[in-house]
Amino acid sequence: MSVLSMKYGKKQHSPSEMDMPDSTDALVKLAIKAGDPYVAAAVHELATGASKRQLEMQILESRRTALSLARWEHTPSSVLAALSNIGDGAVDTRLDKNPNTSSEVLSNLYVDASNKRNLGLTRLIARHRNSEAGILKSIVLFEDDEESLLALSKNPAAGPEVLVSLAERFAGAELGVALNKNIAQNISAPADLLARIYSVSDLHTRVAVIGHANCPDALIAEAAASDEPLMMRVLAKDKRLAPEVLLKYAESDDAGVRCGVVANAEMPLSLIGHLLGDSSELVRREIASRSDLQAEHIAVLMADPDGWVRQRLARNPVVPLQVLASLAADENVDVRRAVARNAECPVELLQTLAADKEAWVRAAVAYQHHAPQRLLVGLAGDNDVDVLSGVANNPNTPQHILEKLVASQEADVRRGVILNKAASRDTLLPLLEDPYYLHRILMVANPSMHELDKWNLREDPDYQVRFSVYRWAVKKIAPINTRYIVGNEVIRRRRV
Amino acid sequence: MKILVAVKQVAALEEDFEIRADGKDVDEDFMLYDLNEWDDYSLEEAMKIKESSDVEVEVVVVSVGPDRVDESLRKCLAKGADRAIRVWDDSAEGSDAIVVGRILTEVIKKEAPDMVFAGVQSSDQAYASTGISVASYLNWPHAAVVADLQYKPGDNKAVVRRELEGGMLQEVEINCPAVLTIQLGINKPRYASLRGIKQAATKPIEEVTLGELSLSADDVGAGKSMSRVRRMYVPEKGRATMIEGTLAEQAAKIIQIINEFKGA
Repeated sequence: MSVLSMKYGKKQHSPSEMDMPDSTDALVKLAIKAGDPYVAAAVHELATGASKRQLEMQILESRRTALSLARWEHTPSSVLAALSNIGDGAVDTRLDKNPNTSSEVLSNLYVDASNKRNLGLTRLIARHRNSEAGILKSIVLFEDDEESLLALSKNPAAGPEVLVSLAERFAGAELGVALNKNIAQNISAPADLLARIYSVSDLHTRVAVIGHANCPDALIAEAAASDEPLMMRVLAKDKRLAPEVLLKYAESDDAGVRCGVVANAEMPLSLIGHLLGDSSELVRREIASRSDLQAEHIAVLMADPDGWVRQRLARNPVVPLQVLASLAADENVDVRRAVARNAECPVELLQTLAADKEAWVRAAVAYQHHAPQRLLVGLAGDNDVDVLSGVANNPNTPQHILEKLVASQEADVRRGVILNKAASRDTLLPLLEDPYYLHRILMVANPSMHELDKWNLREDPDYQVRFSVYRWAVKKIAPINTRYIVGNEVIRRRRV
Repeated sequence: MKILVAVKQVAALEEDFEIRADGKDVDEDFMLYDLNEWDDYSLEEAMKIKESSDVEVEVVVVSVGPDRVDESLRKCLAKGADRAIRVWDDSAEGSDAIVVGRILTEVIKKEAPDMVFAGVQSSDQAYASTGISVASYLNWPHAAVVADLQYKPGDNKAVVRRELEGGMLQEVEINCPAVLTIQLGINKPRYASLRGIKQAATKPIEEVTLGELSLSADDVGAGKSMSRVRRMYVPEKGRATMIEGTLAEQAAKIIQIINEFKGA
């Protein structure tokens, strides 16, 4: 049954043909009947026994399909597990790259790669985010391939224990220097390992350690004595830095260090006045974004010759109305746009900016969530696609305007309506037949649409839409808390 | 009034693929087929003329290729082409762009269109010669890399803007009928509507044999081509180097490399 045979969700066929299945078994049977490998992939995790085998025959109907599914970022992990059993090296390579490949599949693939001395696969497993700590530990202990070890040292899935083992194995070796650099930037690196790396490393690595979220306080204090600009730039942003060090850094010759000071939320208020006239516009831009600006600071910044300083100020919600009004008349279009995007921009000012000669500014007004209906109705008459996209996105836009925008020739405008949380089902209905397949996928995810609206897209010409409909149905019929994975099998805990 | 649009189904590759056993092409399992991007613009240009014309304009798409090419031709039909023609014979395997141009020429002689559009090039082979070889076989005027077209059905002249190097445009008046190779960006190709896709599924694709074009197996294929693929391979890696180290270190190295190239 095609979406074209439906009159916007009104049934024209018998309910038994059209209704969405109410059980996982019925859904799986329907998917088998569809004979579509992407539909089969969508429901595969629900099937067991003979049904599962039938689905897998469809999924593996050709090597071409297997290769496509192994690469596709939406392929469910249960399908990737099934693909790992066919023993095709090219498929395995794609599985190793697929972010959905489960840790268990990766473990099996590693054993295979290890036996065959397939370094390419080992390298991919070493960098995969789903690789188990146990497998990564094996690589650390038994592999000598530098590329694999370097990839692993960057992998956040390598927990603290694996990283410690890696650092210990290559302590003092030439490779250890490169590994330590990566470990110093790995979010899983523990504090004690970072301290050890700091004690034996060059400046760049020590700077990376100081910038790490797990860097121990003692190292911060020790590093504060450094007069290396690289180190000071990183330290200046750290909230743990002592106020007296921040004061010292504020006098640094290096603009990057002073920028760091201004970006530090713990910076004493007195320093703002001091850095307000800084020779570097980068420093002044940072100041313009601070939430603790006083009237005297704002007065100086609004006259800054640098457009980015004024733009940052115009976006800052602490800026008073009079200043925003002044910036709304700025000669720089991006400054005026920033005023229109300011969360505190008053309606009167939005009204002025809605008549701006630059569409870029009017578009910002159209996107403003507190723009009133009357303003949006006026902007709906604009010819610019960005302005119309903003109107289409805005939850304050009246339905009758959204209904008109649904017929826009511009895909961006129609997408705006789909993404508008206030768009009603009646408004959205024509978009079930939008020419752009991504829009139909978005319609499947749209909470305003009825189940049947979505289900009727199941025979869409585009395989990605069909897949998304069946995936939605899987989640609808068997929510995730009713399923769990055992090995490569997804078992239904209970029928819904 | 008739516009004939020559289209090609092209192959795209993922980063990992395998070369065929004979070493002359990529294993077909790794190819992702789609309508050549340039041809999408050619078709759209024809559709624009059709939709803005007061007289009836027929848009005919033609391709040389095996069964799988039907998918791309249906895409053209879904976007509004009136008819689709596919020419194939297994003996045509290995034909170069000039031989493909010869086959298309025979179709054009039978169809007698008022204009012929082709893409500037195909994204997979990039010879950029099919359209031009058709013009040569027909002895028709041609313009390549057309970035703008002013033409009304029935006119005996068209004005085209050709894209040149350095952002230059060349405005050319050309006698019609003519062969134009269309450049990307000349228009904004449409998406096929669901209704169009549905209708296209039921439209016939006219399958034409070499014999119907007064051609034989001896006229086509690798043997008749003036160029033949000897091998396809991935070259040895060049001078690319991964810059390792911390982020600050990588930035410092990049600055150093830039300065070295600038002679600083």
